[in-house]
Amino acid sequence: MYQENEVKDMVRAALSELLAAQGAAAVSPSRPGQAAGRGSATAVEEGFVPDVTAVSTKDEFHVPDPANREGYLAMKRSTVGRIGVWRAGPRYNTWSMLHFRADHATAQDAVFTDVPDEFVASQGFVAGQSLCTSKDEFLTRPDLGRQLDEETKAKFARELPKGAKVTIMVADGLSSAAMVNIPDIVPAIKQGLKGYGIDVGPIPYVKYGRVGSMDEVGQITGSDVVCLLIGERPGLATGESMSAYLAYQPNPDRPESWRTVVSNIYAGGTAPAEAGAHVATIIKKILDERVSGVDLSL
Amino acid sequence: MKQDVILSVGIDIGTSTTQVVFSQLTIQDMSSGFSVPRFEIVDKQIVYRSGIHTTPLLSPTRIDMDAVRRLVDGEYASAGVDKHSIHTGAVVITGETARKENANEVVHRLSDLAGDFVVAAAGPELEAVIAGRGAGADKFSKEHSTTVANYDVGGGTSNLALFDRGRLVTATCLDIGGRLVRVEAGRVAYVAPKIAELCQSEGIALKVGDRADVAVLKRVCQAMTRLLEMSLGLAPKSAFYPRIRTEQDKDVVLPAIPARISFSGGVADHIYSDACDSDPFRWGDIGVLLGQAIRESAAINAIAKFAPVETIRATVVGAGTHIAEISGSTIEYDAALLPLKNLPILKLNPADEASPTAMRRAIGEKLEWYALDGEVQPVAIAFRGPRSPSFKQVQELASAIVGGAASLVGRGLPLVTVSENDIAKVLGQAIRGAMPGQRGFVCIDAVGVEAGDYVDIGEPAAGGRVLPVVVKTLLFR
Repeated sequence: MYQENEVKDMVRAALSELLAAQGAAAVSPSRPGQAAGRGSATAVEEGFVPDVTAVSTKDEFHVPDPANREGYLAMKRSTVGRIGVWRAGPRYNTWSMLHFRADHATAQDAVFTDVPDEFVASQGFVAGQSLCTSKDEFLTRPDLGRQLDEETKAKFARELPKGAKVTIMVADGLSSAAMVNIPDIVPAIKQGLKGYGIDVGPIPYVKYGRVGSMDEVGQITGSDVVCLLIGERPGLATGESMSAYLAYQPNPDRPESWRTVVSNIYAGGTAPAEAGAHVATIIKKILDERVSGVDLSL
Repeated sequence: MKQDVILSVGIDIGTSTTQVVFSQLTIQDMSSGFSVPRFEIVDKQIVYRSGIHTTPLLSPTRIDMDAVRRLVDGEYASAGVDKHSIHTGAVVITGETARKENANEVVHRLSDLAGDFVVAAAGPELEAVIAGRGAGADKFSKEHSTTVANYDVGGGTSNLALFDRGRLVTATCLDIGGRLVRVEAGRVAYVAPKIAELCQSEGIALKVGDRADVAVLKRVCQAMTRLLEMSLGLAPKSAFYPRIRTEQDKDVVLPAIPARISFSGGVADHIYSDACDSDPFRWGDIGVLLGQAIRESAAINAIAKFAPVETIRATVVGAGTHIAEISGSTIEYDAALLPLKNLPILKLNPADEASPTAMRRAIGEKLEWYALDGEVQPVAIAFRGPRSPSFKQVQELASAIVGGAASLVGRGLPLVTVSENDIAKVLGQAIRGAMPGQRGFVCIDAVGVEAGDYVDIGEPAAGGRVLPVVVKTLLFR
């Protein structure tokens, strides 16, 4: 551990040096908030401003003269919470403000960017869509995001096997960036299920889909378990987090409490491959006990 | 199951005393319930403390195994504990007792008698760590975000463990203890060889048969205390200092003087209290005088004290409550293979882990180190493992392990992997797919081990989610 701390210190030192070398003293982590270039409104300088997100919030520390620097940093390493950001009067300092806005922009991008059709095709998904016809409608009409459009219903009925033990499905939900987990979590779930002697058929994909869309897929396929992998509403920590929702014989009449969820799946949370292996175990348990959600004791 | 309670036993056979404790360890899922489970040991309650018995010896060099056994059996009976209900725990043999001729035999026979899954452990550093944890030094350093040194001053050795914010930084051991000079009927009855050397280098005249003179023996204890000060970085190390280290070739230098210090072990009670000062030879040794000398050390008193939660029982409490760990909560295993005991660790280094090819080769080569008469023996393959690996990486890892361990698997031995990073479940499922036939395996994670360690993996707890794990050393130096 000591060695790891030393490495962290070295990285931190190297980053500050790099930022300083780029003429970034004005916004360097150690002395933020010193206004630069005031009074030269028209002068345009060459070069780049440093990337505020290059340093993780866990390693960024602005408190001047802390009583216990190492203790504070150890606490920061245990959370993505923005502690130790310091202030200028009652306000954030410039660096913290920029970092906050950069992270917020990442979250916005995750919500507003569409998952490329090429990605859906490359994964061999059976592509469909909810009743929403645009991102704006998806965000303002959750009810429509839970239902499939007629064409999709027909396509799913045609192309998906009936009465399968397990159907894995995917929806963009509130983060298209979360699709980055798909190539690692899907094969892990399949591998785990294969170990239990369960094969999985084609994977339906619902564009502009909400969690409730799994109920209609359950109704159409009559599968014993539907496992929905969906992008989570992003926060300031990451835009890539994904959830797996699982239900036994789901249909639109089931209550929300019928769903079992595994959340926080991304590289910085539960690694997608390991999460997939865990999800496979839960699916097996749901199949064995024929219940899900709060009735399932994990 | 969200919570489970397991019973743990600790048995310490020390230089002067032998003790037993039973404790209940509560395991609970600390995750939100909306993410993968994360079981932790959340509570440790000592439910039974034995009396403090004098360690039975047959001769100065042999432990009285039968007497130890009767003593332990008696404590199980008075605690009302059936040995089959013991889930985990440790038998430790500490101080000078670890150097008796039959120490190895005693500790192993006792670990078999104490319960199905009780480990034997020894080694001066491990002792220091166990005592430090039993004294609560690690917890205090974590809760107060500081450094705490715990010195366990016993009959035969003094074990120093330094913790920084809950983590062990370093540990060392000196051959200093309260029972290294014994007094009978007002005369010196025994002087340990190293203490005789110390007296000689200090110009103190002391030999067996002398009248037990408090002033002379106090000077011996002050010389011992100065050595303790040196180990703490409070004084420059003398030419004699290396002689008093238990492991002579291993010098430990503390990175800084600790912010707090605590004392445990039998002598600690005489450091914290002067109640026995008027009766210096009440234990027939120099324990009281040594405590007094440490209490009066100006250099040690300059460090803020921390009151340990245990003193004379620190080691046995540490053995009973702080040796057992639990594995990560997403793991994969064949329950029929458990428990597994005394598996030597085959540790892969970072170069071995650099690529699947290197890993496969390293496992194959290192397995041969553990072969007896050309036959591979059971081992646990330990490595760090990638953090958040891709699915492809996991497949490569699994096939490297299965390929590298072909000689192990071919003999029908269980394939056991211990990784530090959280990958065991997907790795286990990949191994199941990659292994020929219905061979057994156990994949656990969140456990750190080093080459030279041994690992015991217990029967499942918390509804099968976690496995109790004990990492230990069986080295008798």
